[in-house]
Amino acid sequence: MRTPFLTELATNRPALMMQLAGVFAALMVALIAAPTLAPETFSFLQPLKIDTDPENMLGEDEPVRVYHNAMKDEFTLHDLIVVGVVDQTTADGVFTARTLSDVYALTEFAKTIRWEDDGATVGVIGVDIIAPSTVDNIEQAGLGSVSFDWLMPRPPETDEEARAVRARAERIPTLKDTLVSGDGKALALYIPITSKDASYRVARALREKIADFETGAEYYITGLPIAQDQFGVEMFRQMAISAPAAMLLIFILMWLFFRNVGLIVSPMLVAMISVIGAMGLLVATGNTVHIMSSMIPIFVMPIAVLDAVHILSDFYDRYPQYKDRRQTIFHVMSELWRPMLFTTLTTCAGFASLAFTPIPPVQVFGVFVSIGVFLAWLFTITLIPAYVMLMPKKALEKFGAKGAASESREARGLLARFLHGVGDFAVERPKAIVSMLIVALAVSLYGVSQIRINDNPVKWFAPDHQIRVADRTLNERFAGTYMAYLTLEPAAGAETLAALAAETRRLIEALDTDAAAATAARIPEAFEQADSSELFLATLEEQALEAREAAGDDAQWYEWDDVLLALDQARQTADIFKRPDMLRFIEGLQAHLEEKGVVGKTNALPDIVKTVHRELLLGEKSAFRIPDSASAVAQTLITYQNSHRPQDLFKLVTPDFRKANIWLQLKSGDNIDMNQVIEEVDAYMAANPAPVALKHDWFGLTYINVIWQKKMVWGMLTAFLGSFLIVLILMTFLFRSFWWGLVSMAPLTVTIAMIYGVIGLIGKDYDMPVAVLSALSLGLAVDYAIHFNARSRQIFERLGTWRETASMTFGEPARAIMRNVIVIGVGFLPLLLAPLVPYQTVGIFISAILLLAGATSLLALPAIITLFEKTLFRKKSGKGEFYVRHAN
Amino acid sequence: MSAMRTRLAGALALAVAVVPASAETDISAQAIVNKASAAAYYQGADGKATVSMTIADAQGRKRTREFVILRADVDDLDNGEQRFYVYFSRPADVNRTAFLVWKHVGSDDDRWLYLPALDLVKRIAASDERTSFVGSHFFYEDVSGRSPEEDTHILVEETENYYVIESAPKKPDAVEFSKYKNWIHKSTFIPVKTEYYDQYGEVYRTYSALRVEDVEGHPTVVESRMEDRNIGGVTTMVYRAVDYDIGLPMDIFSERYLRTPPREHLR
Repeated sequence: MRTPFLTELATNRPALMMQLAGVFAALMVALIAAPTLAPETFSFLQPLKIDTDPENMLGEDEPVRVYHNAMKDEFTLHDLIVVGVVDQTTADGVFTARTLSDVYALTEFAKTIRWEDDGATVGVIGVDIIAPSTVDNIEQAGLGSVSFDWLMPRPPETDEEARAVRARAERIPTLKDTLVSGDGKALALYIPITSKDASYRVARALREKIADFETGAEYYITGLPIAQDQFGVEMFRQMAISAPAAMLLIFILMWLFFRNVGLIVSPMLVAMISVIGAMGLLVATGNTVHIMSSMIPIFVMPIAVLDAVHILSDFYDRYPQYKDRRQTIFHVMSELWRPMLFTTLTTCAGFASLAFTPIPPVQVFGVFVSIGVFLAWLFTITLIPAYVMLMPKKALEKFGAKGAASESREARGLLARFLHGVGDFAVERPKAIVSMLIVALAVSLYGVSQIRINDNPVKWFAPDHQIRVADRTLNERFAGTYMAYLTLEPAAGAETLAALAAETRRLIEALDTDAAAATAARIPEAFEQADSSELFLATLEEQALEAREAAGDDAQWYEWDDVLLALDQARQTADIFKRPDMLRFIEGLQAHLEEKGVVGKTNALPDIVKTVHRELLLGEKSAFRIPDSASAVAQTLITYQNSHRPQDLFKLVTPDFRKANIWLQLKSGDNIDMNQVIEEVDAYMAANPAPVALKHDWFGLTYINVIWQKKMVWGMLTAFLGSFLIVLILMTFLFRSFWWGLVSMAPLTVTIAMIYGVIGLIGKDYDMPVAVLSALSLGLAVDYAIHFNARSRQIFERLGTWRETASMTFGEPARAIMRNVIVIGVGFLPLLLAPLVPYQTVGIFISAILLLAGATSLLALPAIITLFEKTLFRKKSGKGEFYVRHAN
Repeated sequence: MSAMRTRLAGALALAVAVVPASAETDISAQAIVNKASAAAYYQGADGKATVSMTIADAQGRKRTREFVILRADVDDLDNGEQRFYVYFSRPADVNRTAFLVWKHVGSDDDRWLYLPALDLVKRIAASDERTSFVGSHFFYEDVSGRSPEEDTHILVEETENYYVIESAPKKPDAVEFSKYKNWIHKSTFIPVKTEYYDQYGEVYRTYSALRVEDVEGHPTVVESRMEDRNIGGVTTMVYRAVDYDIGLPMDIFSERYLRTPPREHLR
C-alpha cells in the first residue's frame, strides 16, 4: 500500500497546504458574507437565504400545496395564531371587566401589528381576527325584535357585563368552544396572519403587549404557524449553541486520549473547514438554508472528526516506533488510506441517496452532507499530515517519550486490556455471539413491525417549552388549535344541460301564462344552440327581458317578470349548498366527526343557518334547525349578511354555493390522528351518499403535514434500501470479495435493526428526524466494519493466521474504533440539553448508532470471521497457509 | 392632556386659516354638508329607483341583487324624517324580501325586515347602522343617509368644482371610522367622492359617484360604487327607472305592506 499523492504533497509542502485550506475557508465565508451584507455590489452572487417553513418540505408545485393555497384564496382563509387567555384566580375565569378590557386592548393592538416587507404589507389581518370585540352577535332584543351587534362592542365596565359577553357567545355555536372555552372560563383569540413566517414577529409583539397586563390571567400563544416559525428560529439559535458545544466536548475527549492540544486542533480544523465548505457551497449555489439544511453542520462534524481520530490514534501508537513524523504519517496513511476512502464513499452514498427522496429540502440536505463528507476526507488526508509536519518538534517529543515502547505500554492500559478481552471472547465463543445477534435481530424486527409512523411539529419542542405548554392548556379547554379544512363540491358531470333544460321547462310551464307558453316554446331552440347552462338561460332571458320592456300594462309586465324569475330559479338550482337536504348532509357529517375524540369541533354553513334561523324565530331551541326550503336558507343567509362581517359566510361556502368548506378544529396535530379523521370521512362519504353526488378533498397545515410525512417515510425507505445496496456493492468492490462485502454489512444491519427495533418497542414515533437519521446510521455504522475488516486483512496478509490476526486487530485498530465511539458518541450528548426534540433525537441517535455499531463491529465481525474463516480466507495451494481471498 | 388639546385646537385653527375665504360662497361647512345631504337623499317629495347591485369580492367573484327603492320625505322636509321601502326581486330565492326604514332625526331609525320564505316580519332592534347592507360593501347608513348632525365638519379645501369637507364623528365609539373626507360638487351639491379614514389615518373605504344624470330637473347619481380595502372588493349600484314626485301614498311604508307589496309601485 502506498501513500496517496495528496498526502505526499501535504508532507512536502505543509505550509502551502495549510494556506490553501485557509484560502478555501476564507473564500467560502466571503462567498456568503459579500452578497448577504452588500447585495447590491455583489448581485451576481447568491446571498444567504433562510427559510424556516416546514411547508417547504414539499415542493412549491406539489398538488397538495397548490390545492391548499388555491383553497385558502378561494375561502379567504389565513394561517391562524391562537392566543388563549386563562384565569384560574377568579370564579368566572377571564370573564371579568378587567381581563376583558385587557383582551379588548390586546385585540386592538393586534390589529396594528403590520409592517412593510418588500413593498407588501404583512402581519396581522385585522379584519379577520376572531375576538369578542370583532365578531358579531345576533340575538333577541325584545318582542319580535332581533339585534345585530358586536359581541363586545366596548370593554365591559362591570363584571356583570363581562359575564353577559360570555352568555351571548355561548349561545352561538360557531363561537362556543372556539372563542369561549367549554367550561366558560377561558377565551381564545384567533389572529390571522398574512403568512406563516410573520408569526414569530407577531407573537413576539403580542407577548410584549401582554407583559403590560396586570390581572391573574395567563396568555398562551400557539397554533401550527407559531410552532413552525418558532421552530425554525430556535433551530438556528440551537445551531449556534449545540454545534460549538459538541465541538468543545469532542475536543476535551480527544485531549483525554491524546494529551496533546496542538495535535488535536487539527481534527477540529478539518471539521470546521468541511462545515464551512459545505455550507458555503450550499449558499453559493442558491439553495436556501432550511430546517433540514441547518442540520448539515451537526451531521458533517462527527463524520469529519471520525477519520481524523483514526489517523491520530494510529499516529499516536506508531510515532514512538518511528520517531519520525514523515515516516509515521506514511505508515499510518498506507494503512488507513483505503478504509478511509471507502468509509467516505459509503457515507457519501448513504447521504447522496437522499437525493432520490421526493422532498426537496431532504435532497439538498443529502447532497450537501455528501459534499461535506467528501471535503472532510480531502482535508483529513491533506491537512492533518500537513499540520503534523508543521508542529514544532518539541510538541511531539513528549509524545514520543511518554510512548516509548508504546504498543506494550498501551497494551497494558485499561482500554487495551478490555479490548483484548473482547477479542478473545469473540474468537472463542463465535457461536454464542452470532446466536445473540440473531436473537437481537429477531427482537428488533418485531420492534420494527411495531413502529408507529407519526409526527407533529408542535412536538418538536420539549414538553416544558412554552409552545407545548400552551398547546396542552388550550387543547384541554377548547375545541382544538389544529386546523384542517374539508371541501365538498359536486362530483364532475353530476349535472347536465339537459337536466337544466327540463327543470327550466317545468318551472316555466308551472306559471301557466301566455308569456310562459311563448318562452317554453323557445326552449328547444335555446337548448340546441347553447353549449353552457349560462348561455342557455341567457338566451331565454334576453328574449323575456325585451318582452317585459315592451309590456303595455302592469299585468303583462308582471307576466314577463315572472318568466324572468322562473329562469333565475332555474339558474339557482345549481346553488346546491342552499338546499336543505345538502345542508342536512353536512350536518350529519359534522355530527359523525364530532363523535370522534380528536375532532373537537367543526364549523360549517349549517351552523350559521341554524343560528340565524333560531334568532329569527324568537330564539326558540326548536328553531335551531335548517329551514325547509332553499329560499328560506337563502333569506336566512341574506339576513346574516347584514352584519359587520358578511364576508365570513364565504369562508364556509363559495359565493356560487357550489363548494362548501368544513373547518375542523382538532385537539391533536399528530399525523395519525389526522389520518384517522381522513379515513372516517372517506368511510362516511362512501356509506352515506349525499343527495347530489359529491367529491371531497382536504387542505390546512395539519393535512399538509400528513402528506409530506407520507412522502418522507416512503422516500426514506426507498433511499435507504437503495443506499444499502450501493454500500454492499462498494464493500464487495473494496474487498474484491462478495463474502467480505456481506460480512461488512452485518454490523450495520444489526445496528439499524436494533435502533429502529427499540424505537418500535418503546413507542417513540417515527418522525422527521428519525427518518433522516436512517441515512446517518447507514453511513456511520459501516465505517467501523470497514476499518476492522480492512485492517484485519492487512494484518492477515502479514501473519497468515486468523488467531494471531485477531489478536493484532484488537490492538491499535480496535482502540482507534473505541476512541472514535467514545469521542463522537459522548461528544454529541450535549444535544440532549437542547429544548428541541429533533436535536435530542439526533444526539441520542448518533451516540446510540456509534455505540451499537462499535459494539457489533468488535463482536460480530470477529465472531463471523471465526465461523466462516475458511470461506473468507482461502487456503493457499500446497502451503497450508491461508491468504486473503481475492476475486482474481 | 391640555397641551394636546391646545395643539389640536391650533391645528384646527390652521386648517381653517389656510382655506381661502371666498366672497361668492360665503357658506359654512355645516351648510354645505346640509345641502349635500339634501341633494343626495331628499330630491323631490318622494322618489323611486330600480337598483342593480353587483358585489364583487376581493377575488372578483360577482353576486348581483336587484331591488326597488321607494322613498318618501315626511312633510317634504330636507334633512327631516323619511320612509324607505326596499323590495328585492333577484336573485330568485330572495324575491319579495323587503326592508322598511323609518328614518328619524336625532334618534335611532326604525327598521323592519320581511322574509317571505319564513313568512316572517322582524323588527331590527336599534343598533349599529354601519353594518353591511345585504352583504354589499355599502352600509345601511350609506343607503338611507347619515345625518349631518352626527359629525362635525370642516371645509378643508375648495377647488374649482368641489368643496372638500372633512368630517369627524361626534361619538367616535359608535363608528368604525376616525374621519371622512367628502368632495361635494359646488353647483349640484352632489357628494361625488367620500374617503373614510381608520384610526391609523389610512383611507380604507371609498365611495364614488360614477355617473350623475339630470332626472326631472334633479341631479341624480345613477351609478355609484363603494370600495373597501380591508375586506377587499367593490360594490356598484346602477339606478334605473328613477322617478321623482310620484305621489307615493304614506301608508305603503308600513308593516302591513311588507307582506303584500305595493306591486303597482314596484314595476
